[in-house]
Amino acid sequence: MDKELMQERRGFLKQFGATLGAAGLGAAGVGTANAAVTPKGSIPAKPVKVGHITFLTGAAELLGGPGQRGHVLAQEEINAQGGLLGKRKIETLFADEAAGTDANVKELRRMKLSENIELFTGVISSGNTPALGPVAEELRVLTLFNDGCTDFLFDKAVPNPKYTFRVTNIQSADGVTAAIGAATHWPNVRRIASLQPDYSYGRNVFEHFVLALGKLLPGIEVVSESWPKLGTTDFTSHITKILSNKPDLLVAGVWGGDYVAFYKQALRFGLFDKMKVATTLAFGGYPHAIGKDHPEGVLAGVHANYHFLYPSAERWPINKGFVERYYKRFKEYPSFESDGAYIALYLYKQAVEKANQLVGGWPDDEAIIAMLEGAGIDSPAGYLYIRADNHQGYKDAVTGLSKHLPGYDFPVWDTESIVSIPIRSITAPPNWPKPGKGHNESTAAADWIKKTWPAAKV
Amino acid sequence: MLAFVPAFAGTYQTQLLTYGLTLAIAALGFNLLLGYTGLLSFGHSAFFGAGAYAVALMMRYLDVASMELLMLGGIVFSAALAALFGVVCVRHTRIFFAILTLALSQVLWTLAYKFFWITGGTDGLRVPFSTVSLLGGLVSFPGADAFAKFITYYYYYVLAVFGLCVALMWLIVHSPFGKTLQAIRDNETRARFLGVRIWRYRWLAFLVSGIFTGLAGSLWVPLNGLTTPDVLYWPQSGKIVFFAVLGGFRNFTGPIVGAVIFNYLEVYAVAVTEYWQITLGLILIALVTFLPAGIVGSAVRLGAKLKRRQRASP
Amino acid sequence: MEIVALQVLNSLFYAAVLFLIAAGLSLIFGVMGIVNMAHGSFYALGAYVTAWSVAAAAAVLPPAALFVLLPLGAIAAALVGLAIEPTLLRRFYRRPEEYQLLVTFGLLLVLEDVIRLVWGGTPLTANVLVDSLGLIQVGGLPYPVYNLLMIGVGAAAALGLWAFVYRTKFGVLLRATAQDRRMAAALGIDVGRIYALAFGLGCFMAGLGGAIVVPSQAAVLGMGVEVLVLSFVVVVIGGLGSLEGALVGALIVSALRTITIQFWEEIELAALYLIAAIVLLIRPTGLFGRKA
Repeated sequence: MDKELMQERRGFLKQFGATLGAAGLGAAGVGTANAAVTPKGSIPAKPVKVGHITFLTGAAELLGGPGQRGHVLAQEEINAQGGLLGKRKIETLFADEAAGTDANVKELRRMKLSENIELFTGVISSGNTPALGPVAEELRVLTLFNDGCTDFLFDKAVPNPKYTFRVTNIQSADGVTAAIGAATHWPNVRRIASLQPDYSYGRNVFEHFVLALGKLLPGIEVVSESWPKLGTTDFTSHITKILSNKPDLLVAGVWGGDYVAFYKQALRFGLFDKMKVATTLAFGGYPHAIGKDHPEGVLAGVHANYHFLYPSAERWPINKGFVERYYKRFKEYPSFESDGAYIALYLYKQAVEKANQLVGGWPDDEAIIAMLEGAGIDSPAGYLYIRADNHQGYKDAVTGLSKHLPGYDFPVWDTESIVSIPIRSITAPPNWPKPGKGHNESTAAADWIKKTWPAAKV
Repeated sequence: MLAFVPAFAGTYQTQLLTYGLTLAIAALGFNLLLGYTGLLSFGHSAFFGAGAYAVALMMRYLDVASMELLMLGGIVFSAALAALFGVVCVRHTRIFFAILTLALSQVLWTLAYKFFWITGGTDGLRVPFSTVSLLGGLVSFPGADAFAKFITYYYYYVLAVFGLCVALMWLIVHSPFGKTLQAIRDNETRARFLGVRIWRYRWLAFLVSGIFTGLAGSLWVPLNGLTTPDVLYWPQSGKIVFFAVLGGFRNFTGPIVGAVIFNYLEVYAVAVTEYWQITLGLILIALVTFLPAGIVGSAVRLGAKLKRRQRASP
Repeated sequence: MEIVALQVLNSLFYAAVLFLIAAGLSLIFGVMGIVNMAHGSFYALGAYVTAWSVAAAAAVLPPAALFVLLPLGAIAAALVGLAIEPTLLRRFYRRPEEYQLLVTFGLLLVLEDVIRLVWGGTPLTANVLVDSLGLIQVGGLPYPVYNLLMIGVGAAAALGLWAFVYRTKFGVLLRATAQDRRMAAALGIDVGRIYALAFGLGCFMAGLGGAIVVPSQAAVLGMGVEVLVLSFVVVVIGGLGSLEGALVGALIVSALRTITIQFWEEIELAALYLIAAIVLLIRPTGLFGRKA
């Protein structure tokens, strides 16, 4: 991109308070690691049992594996310091999300009723959090989902959460982030093609991407839609269909093993030479799952907004330390799922410590929940806060263009191209009416964008 | 003995057994076809799912809360489906029957999967127990802490329906109709010579079987809290087949025992290891290899052997 | 126009892979009367072994030499099949279908986890094979030469299999056993050996399907289960136990899939199952099936 265009695009991004290049991270300077405080009252030595359901098998292991390891790292670090409040070690029961939604419901009940877990974490699929959220509320088990970020969870399935929290960005932010990223780097695209997995995530990405891009760029037109089933590995017919519709831009929400299979075939069919490609989850799995053959200049989304090279080491030492410890322990780089699972446990630790300072002894769930609502924490991904009205975690959304940098066997982000958007600019504010309450959009975010974003100027 | 389970087993074990009982009703229905008519259906997920989706759709679009009405809806819906599928399927037998039922159930699965604006797609439809009322609205479960209460009541509710189903099925298989089915199973040609209208008998068996399995799906859904296309997908049919084979489909009680035990097996395999697939797979292989008559069938044989031995030794 | 040409090629490539899997499934059913639920896992095994060996050798061998490794996946699948048949499956031939379905379903679960235990969750690839052959232009659009070659391999496999079954002595024994196991045994044919070889051959075909597909895609967990249901649809349409049927069924299924993807994607899956159900209704034995 030439300098002049870059300047112009920086101006464009100002309306969101967003930044281009490595300069982002508005919240830098918030304190680093919490200073150790002496726990108040007597703390039992009994371990804290935690339940964690994530994908350990199947195509989605690509997301679940790093999540499990992020959890393990946090657990080992906390236990090495003597456990929560210096006394209570963390023990985790893992179970496989790939066993299916119904089996997950049964397993969560078992974990709570039979094993007496005190905290439930994990869950990747957007199909599973709306199933497990209500169960967690029924069972009154404190729950920190680290993904499964469908808007539907707190818009509809659990509209008034008490025990259920989620630490990662809301799903509609994916489509909107990709739209802003695309409009920043490619303001001239008009003909849009879409390739989405055929379930709620794909539909959510498609809807919010088209909605947001329509507000950002005048006269866009969707010329091609493809909806492969989750788990598809042969994309050649989809690719040919996309080519036949001659789009300027392809937006793709396919992820995991599906994305790997897709980009390899698209590459050989010359798709990347014929159009720009914006993805929401290309860099979401193991970083090393994407090969050296991955093209540069693809808008490579990371879903719940963490890539291990951003925020950069000099600006955000927390991330540097996390990546180093993670690499040392597992011999690979962390993904956004690692960050989410890791910070979920630390968020719990922070809430337990604060509640302990207030009430003394081991705090009950009510006290911990009070400390989680409205909580903020410095995570490897930057500053993360939990909104009290909907128990949803928010952090700045980032995306960037893929590039091959020396020192890595896989593509990473081109530092100059990273778009960082304050999350409040792209998601409905607190107490915005939920779907069915005065509007019939699929999400509160969609309604908010429709009603408040100015239309694009021609 | 089953009546006292909630008193000493706790909420968790009670709900697990309730799951098992709903599945046992499905197995009971399935076995009318496999054990008594000699037809292997690999598409019974269609009826289980039909019962479940009927409940969820009635609740979502018609605001029905009464469990009795919901069950009635589930029965009507699965009966209609079974009547239709039956016309198509019972013209064939053996592996062709199995594959035809499989293909039709997969059509239903794709409908639930693709028509997301009606069925919720992979998100499924929620059926929260708190919106269900039992016994014509007499018992309901409002409030956040009603789960334990719901499980206790619902256990007895399911137990009662289960008891009714067992009694009814017992009557069916011991009625002239049931005897005729077994005659057809054992020797189709002879039955035909005797003037039996085989097609009609098989169709009726298919219908009754579908209704029982649909009822099971209806009862299962408030327990699970939601229904997703998974209950219509072919592995669900595979599970129902497995209930029968695990317990022993030559016995009336075999599939019931098989369903309850399989439910425990699956839950604990997922719970104890992340390698649950290999664990469950090995157990399945071992069971079908070494207990060919199923658990109940083998137990009966063992019992008979012991008795003979006792009689032999004075 | 070039799009039509490309879609026809895509369809043929997909059909080649589907044919290899379905032919193996059909062969096993035709000879042994077993519906092998674990068949997709042999396809996945072939893909993993080929990808793994190509990646291991890519550093030392030139790309052209790596093609020698392509059949390794098929050979590995065949060896596993040859080991499983006498130890596990043999005792189930005299039992009803439901037992065979269940034991192979158990096998499917075991193989899925074994693959994960051995290779982990990261997708494996072997794209160096595709890239070494480069691209050709089809009406101005690029198309990988590798895919063309593999359409040829699929066709050759179909011919080879046909010749093997209908033109060799072993093929005669195979068909005789398929027609009447007891008669074959009475005539002195070693039925046990025929069964083992038939099962091994079926697994070889599935493994070959995985081996040729992996350079153009990637080996991912769950790929075997994904393909199993589709290959079922193929053999149902073509007729259980029929090789010609597997070929025609694969062509129909992949053409139908490509057409629905291009024009009306909502009905892609429903159309496949409906076609299968309709074929079963009109001809329960499938288009080329023998009467049971």
